[in-house]
Amino acid sequence: MKNSFLMRNPSTLIFLAALAIFTIMVTVLSEAFGLGLISTSFVKTLGKTLCLGLVAIAMDLVWGYAGILSLGHFAFFGLGGYMIGMWLMYERTRDIVISSMSDAPIPPTAEEITDAIGHQIFGVVGSSEFPLIWAFADSLVLQLVLVVLVPGVLAFVFGWLAFRSRVAGVYLSILTQAMTLALSLYLFQNDSGLRGNNGLSGLQNLPGLDAVAQDVVSIWFLWASALALGLGYLLAAWVVSGKFGSVIRGIRDDEARVRFLGYSVESYKLALFTVTACIAGIAGALYYPQAGIINPAEIAPIASIYLAVWVAIGGRGRLYGAVIGAGFVSLVSSWFTGGQAPDISLGFYTIKWVDWWLIVLGLSFVLVTLFAPKGIAGLFDLAGSRKWPNRHGADLGPDAGALREREANE
Amino acid sequence: MKRLILAGLALLMTCTLALSQEAPMQDILQDHSALITKSSRMTIAPAIAAISDSGLTQAQDVLQAWQSKDIWQRKSDGLFFRAKETAEGSYILFDFDSGETLGEADKADLKQIKPNSGVRALIGSALVTFQLQDSDPARRLAALTSIERNPSSELLAPLRASIDTETDADLKAKKRRAERLLTIAYDSDESARVAAISDMSGDLGVDLRATLNPLLETRTEVFAGEAPEGLNLARRLAPGEDISTEAAYDLLVTAGLAPARIDQAEIRATLGTHISEQEVGGVALEDLNQPEARARAYAALVAQGLAEPDPTSAEIKAHLDAHQFVEIYNEPSRPVTLAASEALEDILLNVGMNQSLDLILDGLSLASIYFLAAIGLAITFGVMGVINMAHGEFIMMGAYTGYVIQQLIPNHTASILVAIPMAFVVTFAAGVAMERLVIRWLYNRPLETLLATFGISIALQQLAKNIFGTQALPLTSPEWLDGAWVLNDVVSISYIRIAIFILAISFLAIFLFIMRRTRLGLETRAVTQNPRMAASMGINPNRVNMLTFGLGSGIAGVAGVAIGLFAKVTSELGNDYIVQSFMTVVVGGVGNIWGTLAGAAMIGFLQKGIEWFNPSNTLAAQTFMIIFIIIFIQFRPRGIIALKGRAAGD
Amino acid sequence: MKLLNSTLAGTLALAGLTAPAFAADCPIKVGVLHSLSGTMAISETTLKDTMLMLIDQQNAKGGVLGCELEAVVVDPASDWPLFAEKARELLTVHDVDVIFGNWTSVSRKSVLPVIEELNGLLFYPVQYEGEESSKNVFYTGAAPNQQAIPATDYFIEELGVEKFALLGTDYVYPRTTNNILASYLKSKGVSNDDIFVNYTPFGHSDWSKIVADVVALGADGKKVGVISTINGDANIGFYKELAAAGISADDIPVVAFSVGEEELSGLDTSNLVGHLAAWNYFQSAEAEANTAFIDAWKTRMGAERVTNDPMEAHYIGFNMWVNAAAAAGSTDVDAVRAAMYGQEFPNLTGGTAVMLPNHHLAKPVLIGEIQADGQFDIISQTSEVPGDAWTDYLPESAVLMSDWKDLGCGMYNTKTKTCVQTLSNY
Repeated sequence: MKNSFLMRNPSTLIFLAALAIFTIMVTVLSEAFGLGLISTSFVKTLGKTLCLGLVAIAMDLVWGYAGILSLGHFAFFGLGGYMIGMWLMYERTRDIVISSMSDAPIPPTAEEITDAIGHQIFGVVGSSEFPLIWAFADSLVLQLVLVVLVPGVLAFVFGWLAFRSRVAGVYLSILTQAMTLALSLYLFQNDSGLRGNNGLSGLQNLPGLDAVAQDVVSIWFLWASALALGLGYLLAAWVVSGKFGSVIRGIRDDEARVRFLGYSVESYKLALFTVTACIAGIAGALYYPQAGIINPAEIAPIASIYLAVWVAIGGRGRLYGAVIGAGFVSLVSSWFTGGQAPDISLGFYTIKWVDWWLIVLGLSFVLVTLFAPKGIAGLFDLAGSRKWPNRHGADLGPDAGALREREANE
Repeated sequence: MKRLILAGLALLMTCTLALSQEAPMQDILQDHSALITKSSRMTIAPAIAAISDSGLTQAQDVLQAWQSKDIWQRKSDGLFFRAKETAEGSYILFDFDSGETLGEADKADLKQIKPNSGVRALIGSALVTFQLQDSDPARRLAALTSIERNPSSELLAPLRASIDTETDADLKAKKRRAERLLTIAYDSDESARVAAISDMSGDLGVDLRATLNPLLETRTEVFAGEAPEGLNLARRLAPGEDISTEAAYDLLVTAGLAPARIDQAEIRATLGTHISEQEVGGVALEDLNQPEARARAYAALVAQGLAEPDPTSAEIKAHLDAHQFVEIYNEPSRPVTLAASEALEDILLNVGMNQSLDLILDGLSLASIYFLAAIGLAITFGVMGVINMAHGEFIMMGAYTGYVIQQLIPNHTASILVAIPMAFVVTFAAGVAMERLVIRWLYNRPLETLLATFGISIALQQLAKNIFGTQALPLTSPEWLDGAWVLNDVVSISYIRIAIFILAISFLAIFLFIMRRTRLGLETRAVTQNPRMAASMGINPNRVNMLTFGLGSGIAGVAGVAIGLFAKVTSELGNDYIVQSFMTVVVGGVGNIWGTLAGAAMIGFLQKGIEWFNPSNTLAAQTFMIIFIIIFIQFRPRGIIALKGRAAGD
Repeated sequence: MKLLNSTLAGTLALAGLTAPAFAADCPIKVGVLHSLSGTMAISETTLKDTMLMLIDQQNAKGGVLGCELEAVVVDPASDWPLFAEKARELLTVHDVDVIFGNWTSVSRKSVLPVIEELNGLLFYPVQYEGEESSKNVFYTGAAPNQQAIPATDYFIEELGVEKFALLGTDYVYPRTTNNILASYLKSKGVSNDDIFVNYTPFGHSDWSKIVADVVALGADGKKVGVISTINGDANIGFYKELAAAGISADDIPVVAFSVGEEELSGLDTSNLVGHLAAWNYFQSAEAEANTAFIDAWKTRMGAERVTNDPMEAHYIGFNMWVNAAAAAGSTDVDAVRAAMYGQEFPNLTGGTAVMLPNHHLAKPVLIGEIQADGQFDIISQTSEVPGDAWTDYLPESAVLMSDWKDLGCGMYNTKTKTCVQTLSNY
């Protein structure tokens, strides 16, 4: 059965193969397990890019397939990061505290250890009490459950409220943006209990694994991210290839008709919104231990908009498009803003990419929206010379066969 | 009396000195040279007293020069002079005693005496007696300000003496008020103080409250048994009700009336000092990570007499019952505290009402800022249904236009008058260009409009950074907008906010006029309701869309000038307002200007209201406001004022 | 035994071989880790330019250890995780010998684990909240006892302030500083009711309510003073509202810890004359070294540019590093670190800065009144105050001390005489 599913979706097979080859290549070239041609910091960048690919898939599902332009998925991504970050910080600090307390003549009580951990973690932000939300921070299993649960529940509650009152289209986008803004403003407060602007840091040091060097840890995370991306891709491909996929595409193209056909549009949207939030949470939980620090600035609305940018440039409505977009744009961005790109001298003015890259990105985004709604993935269509009936007008949605502009006006 | 003797002595000294050297003031300054150059409020008093009590005519001149940082010391001989800067950058020196010019000196040879603000205030107080009767009203005002800032009992008599001779009516009123306040605080006659309090009751001034509140300051004391008679008691404190039992017991401990409680850290430290053979008090060391084991071990130590016992709750209660806790006024006079507390009660009620008024003004002001930021959006998004994420950047563009104009035209009033139409023109043109180049291709793809305009938004923001830098730039308001409209010490609002309010109102009027009374408004309404029908009536929808979008953008530009005046001009200016602006339009109800107004009012007042509940955390106010809006939209998805037949997203 | 001996000898020989090879490894690379884009670019770009100027000046003098210095500039783009990534890149890909960088505390906390893991060397030039001591970081900016505490003393002693409004932007530096100050004020006998604390978001612009609240504090008849840790752009709106409310510095003085010459250049200061700022350096300081520094800066960057406190911190830090490297005869991190302790270098305000074993500097504290031309009139200057990593005014930190030279510990508990931890808190 699985075989036939893969056969029906050759792109999935190709993608998974490419991902596997990529992972093996990086491992072979890395400092820890191979030739040392790729520096550890770049391995981390690649690992993070894979996580971004995963959250891009989630975004593509809600936006490219279901037409819900959510500007909140990076918030779910960040929440996943916070959840795993709490355990990492707690556990690492506990190790430090216990080792420093072991010299004391009187053995510490459990309460004293907790107090000391609290002081250690919250001392920098001027407090020492453990807030309630850290109740499960001592348990890896519970925090891992929360990685999925917290974004999922938030998405469910928000989605249920929004879809129930039939907020759709740009209104939903603005509302999700407001939710993201509220969340980031909340986390910016010191009183939020997650260390305010400082966020959770030192996440790259895995508790109990101090002896393992970062170049090894970075490869582990690369593998984990690749695995998560592969599984996420499979799940997403399976979802969109079945009946569920047909219904959500139908919702994207004409919500009213699908509703009149008797489908519970709201339930479909809500299910998809929640599941993709969970995927985003998992991606975040893998991303931030590689980044080393998570703070509210990561959750700011702009991040979610960038996510939409990646998916749009990569190509909506194609899962591999989303991954390519996320990988391509984030890597190219960091190349240009990293100061490595050569300046262009025009004689009277020197173009410094650090200054001009955002302008290029912004404008290229306008151009992609206007002239290439299929994004980079559209190139694959051309290369494969896949044909579709030549109907009049531009695509309304990104998929071949979507409602055409002129038809929509009728 | 002591002061008088001192003054006499000083006078005597200066007389003898004057006889010998003919430079009495310079001698005084030299005597206190170290203090004057060190210039600290803690040590300067003798120097000031020596000058002001010298009885010399030049004392006032010296103090005034000192206060305005005009005294310089010559490095070569350490002599002090009043110095005045010449056009060439050197300094003309004046002798204090003769008043004569002593020629010029280079800045490198001089050292400026810089009294800090605390020292200047002390000099000001010393000057009061000289200046109260001064012929220059500005100096008399300075003396009054000094009294207001640093009231003291010695100033009461000279102040009273100066009232009758005061010619300026305004100053006379001020002097009367200062005299009343000093009477309340310092008069030796109890009935005069009570009378002054009743004279002033109902007044809202901070200075009055600042005079009354110290009279009502209390201290908490503990007495074994009953409190003695003759104290000006404010109230008795019952432990557990008026004061927590912990705090009450701590008071007993600090007064030495009860043994201290032992906390966990102390228990742990005590246990640590009594370890013997891996045990403490018969409890094995490894068990001591349990709280009850520690308690057992400590009890054992107490039994052996090695540690102080922790008082039990029964003991604590017995101690508390045996004592009485009272709050006592620092002010001994009962009638004064009574009158003061009554007066203060009235005032506080009045202050509370005025604070609500002030809050309303603040809310109104914030609402008008939001309205101003959102009104352009009400046109492009509300009327045309085009989502424009670059709206904030149009606001920014307007603000930068204002900045550029201000660089070209130095006169602030003229530059603002030019900047407003220029900002409109610039952003109108930008809006039209954007509509022609991008938006018109996307009218049927609203989500993609959002993304494309977002691309423009980041490009414009970065462009502004490249051109103007990341530094916040000043957009200075004209002088007549400086300051605030002050109703009383509680209610005030800055003129710039009033101007923004007026601007918002006039924009509302302009908007209504254009939409209801002009051809463009008619055509806009026609095109937005049914473009094809409008086109068949001879209206060119392309042109109308272009002009309407330009109008919305232009208004955003003018809003930018206003916002820049009130806050700052940075490339991220637009970012701060974009989400709030969309919220304003959506909450208010899309497609209706009154809705936008209602939305702005609701958001503005709500935010101020939440801030009022939680004054120490402004960030929380913003978070709660957004959450409230999200929930509000669930229940009224079409906004406060909904157009019939349109749901959000249709 | 013989085997062990030969291995030992081998490693020693290797060490002997690598050390001089390291020193001769030309050019010597200096990492500059300051944001050139994003929100912090406004402040940090200036520091990048300062570093490039200092490196050019040093190269003109013949470099260090006979080698040219080469600046490696990267842009962490005000993105905190990117700071960690770029620091790793500097240390592993570019192999820099020292890093000068960071502005915000959160960026420093992001970089710390990387620097400690790879044994790098970071010079951090900005005033900060303390409560940290890393083996691999030299803090050339002010600790709270070199800025906040003296300024508060000045308020109490010189201005007679009895009631304090602690206004700050909601992030770690104001939070911790205000915590320390609140505790300090209580030790000075100021009651809890006389301390008003308020936090606002970054870039806050609606200040009318807060200014009104501060004015209302005066109703007790006590002199009110504002201690401001408000950051960046938000200051503009705050000072504008203050001016509009007609509050003069004689009524309610404001002392700011994050407002320097650079920030004032965006502001019309005529209404702010008399308000205060506390730093370790002001451009208006009269000293020959300062005049030379300002001249060099203006020649390089333009006559309208101003100098500020973090620039001086980099100036001192860079020169100390150069001298320490020369003294150690190598740019090896541990060798330079050992040579850093006790390094002295004349600061720009006329005194001498000393590097202490706790990785902080001894610097004078200056308090200046804002003048109409956007410069500061220095009205108080203390002698050199040694920087304190762990504040004496919070009970948990009072027992801690940092001494990397003799104790080799950044978090040493003086009560229990144990080293709490050798890695820093992040």
